Amino acid sequence: MTDRSTAAVDKSAVMRGLISRSRVPVGSEIYNRLLETLYDEAAALDERRFDDWVAMLATDLVYTAPIRLTRTGVNRDRDVMRTMMHFNDNYASILMRTGRLSKSAWAEDPPSRTRRFVTNMRVGETENPDEYEVVSYLYLTRSRGETAEYEVTTGERRDVWRFVDGAYKLSKREIILDQSTLSMSNLAVFL
Amino acid sequence: MLQKAGLVLSDGTSIDDLIDTKMHEVSLRVMNDPELHKIEMERIFGRTWLLLGHDTEIPKAGDFVVRDMGEDQVIVARDRKGEIHVLLNVCPHRGMKVCTAEAGNTQAHRCIYHGWAFRPDGAFIGAPVEKEQMHGNMRPKSELGLKKARTHLYGGLIFATWNIEGPSFDEFLGDTKFYFDQLFCRTDSGLELLGPPQRFMIPANWKIGAEQSASDGFHTLTLHRSLMEGGVMGGTPESIYDNAPGMYGVDVSCSEGHSLRCLEAAQTFKMFSNMSFEGKSTEERLRMLPPPGITQELIPQLFKNLSPAQVEMLATIPPQVGGMFPNVLVLFIFAPRTDGGASGALALHTYMPRGPNHFEFVNYIFAEKDAPEQVKRDMLENSIQQAGTSGIIEQDDADTWPQIMRNARGPVGRSMTLKYQALTGHHIPEGWPGGGLVYPGFTKDDTQWNWWLNYHRLMSSPS
Repeated sequence: MTDRSTAAVDKSAVMRGLISRSRVPVGSEIYNRLLETLYDEAAALDERRFDDWVAMLATDLVYTAPIRLTRTGVNRDRDVMRTMMHFNDNYASILMRTGRLSKSAWAEDPPSRTRRFVTNMRVGETENPDEYEVVSYLYLTRSRGETAEYEVTTGERRDVWRFVDGAYKLSKREIILDQSTLSMSNLAVFL
Repeated sequence: MLQKAGLVLSDGTSIDDLIDTKMHEVSLRVMNDPELHKIEMERIFGRTWLLLGHDTEIPKAGDFVVRDMGEDQVIVARDRKGEIHVLLNVCPHRGMKVCTAEAGNTQAHRCIYHGWAFRPDGAFIGAPVEKEQMHGNMRPKSELGLKKARTHLYGGLIFATWNIEGPSFDEFLGDTKFYFDQLFCRTDSGLELLGPPQRFMIPANWKIGAEQSASDGFHTLTLHRSLMEGGVMGGTPESIYDNAPGMYGVDVSCSEGHSLRCLEAAQTFKMFSNMSFEGKSTEERLRMLPPPGITQELIPQLFKNLSPAQVEMLATIPPQVGGMFPNVLVLFIFAPRTDGGASGALALHTYMPRGPNHFEFVNYIFAEKDAPEQVKRDMLENSIQQAGTSGIIEQDDADTWPQIMRNARGPVGRSMTLKYQALTGHHIPEGWPGGGLVYPGFTKDDTQWNWWLNYHRLMSSPS
């Protein structure tokens, strides 16, 4: 049984992004194609081409964003809590979300103007020769309405991308946000 | 000059100028007034019972979480005897936070500044260098513990208040206890919090969220139009405004400002099935459509823990959404799943003030403790997709509230009034099992007005 209590420590919650020991080097063919894919994905989301984005997702997608919890002492680095999440989604629920965005979704109508800056990409091989572990940093700026203030969020994305029919598809994404209390007033945008 | 009762602000404006009890109007200024905010912290957050979490968050001796009571931060800790204590997170020595984590386990909370240490029950253990007696000799150790709030557990929910001699928790819940029991006190093991709460900031005054939590059913029709487009409220997207069965039901509240919207199970059931409720017994109806969060195995427990009238209500017209004064939203809803079925989504929110212009949205997500693991996983997924940070329902609220706040800045805008003039009037339908103030039919402004009346009452009376 899962120990869901807030006080309990999630022993798996160590701050380490890339698990794979076989690195795909920067500048290699595979690395470049994956980097291109992340750039294309960011562009599709910033340009609100949600159908194009959904086409980049595998149907067995697992899309999550665990919460962070400030801890001290021996548990100071175990601050990712996977019992609770900001996103807990799959392919069908992402379709539900993008479908809503085409109708009455006032949280994004008028739409936010967003920029997704994707950096620090590291790639590792997995047991499956067609799948790669891809870790990247995300800096998202969001401007809404006529207010001069940006809403900003930052985090690390731990992905698995699968090579299918000549293109990479996202089959897993865990977003490790950096805030325990989010400054963004909603997550009506994808990370 | 006439003597103005209760509260008068420094510019001469009285609480009666801000809340017009004859016209049922509230000045938008109340959403943006630092002076009013300061008084709210004393007369409301310093005085009422406040929700701080759930006892399943801290099951072991020494477990603690750090939470907020208005602008004051507190440690919620369990001692060796299993008792829960709520302690001000301010070191009595030099004012440092005693606890810098959000959660953990310890038998001694030691301040990092000078090392004063406290037990989970708040008692002062001592300061370092015992022989030098660094806490002096002017006060005995018994006077140097952490300041303690009065605590009450209700269905595992942890409530606390600084009002040590004030009303009991049951008095605070008033006539709505009969209805809230149906959500929080219905099973043998009670609820379980599924993980630490989601927390995020909203650039708006806490009351903008809170007055809506007092059962503003009407906004569902337009702001949450996407629910109707998704077929959740009954009716069709084309006939949205005049054919939304989900807008009808019975709203209940009380003079303490709490409220709940009770929605007819038969109506809800029609959305998922063609079968009729007609002629079915209480238990048969419960089995056809268990209340949100209840599974088939848990149905016998309802009969054990609740009165026959309460069970009958759960089977006929279960409470689903509402609020507890001053800052709690209750969401115990039927939520459609992407696979076509429906499961429950159980959540409580607190809207914690962060100065007059911001509040922190704290989202607690629950399931019944004895529900199967798979049901808990389903409900967690569903709740996160519907409510809170990324929830498709509350995304739209979170985007609306800051815009009301923006309008409360303009000198002309803040002189406008919020209107609560669509009224049903208290009227108990025949055979209605519960007490309190009851408003059957289309959901209107009565319950929200009761919220403001209680706000007015508390703000008018000095401690």
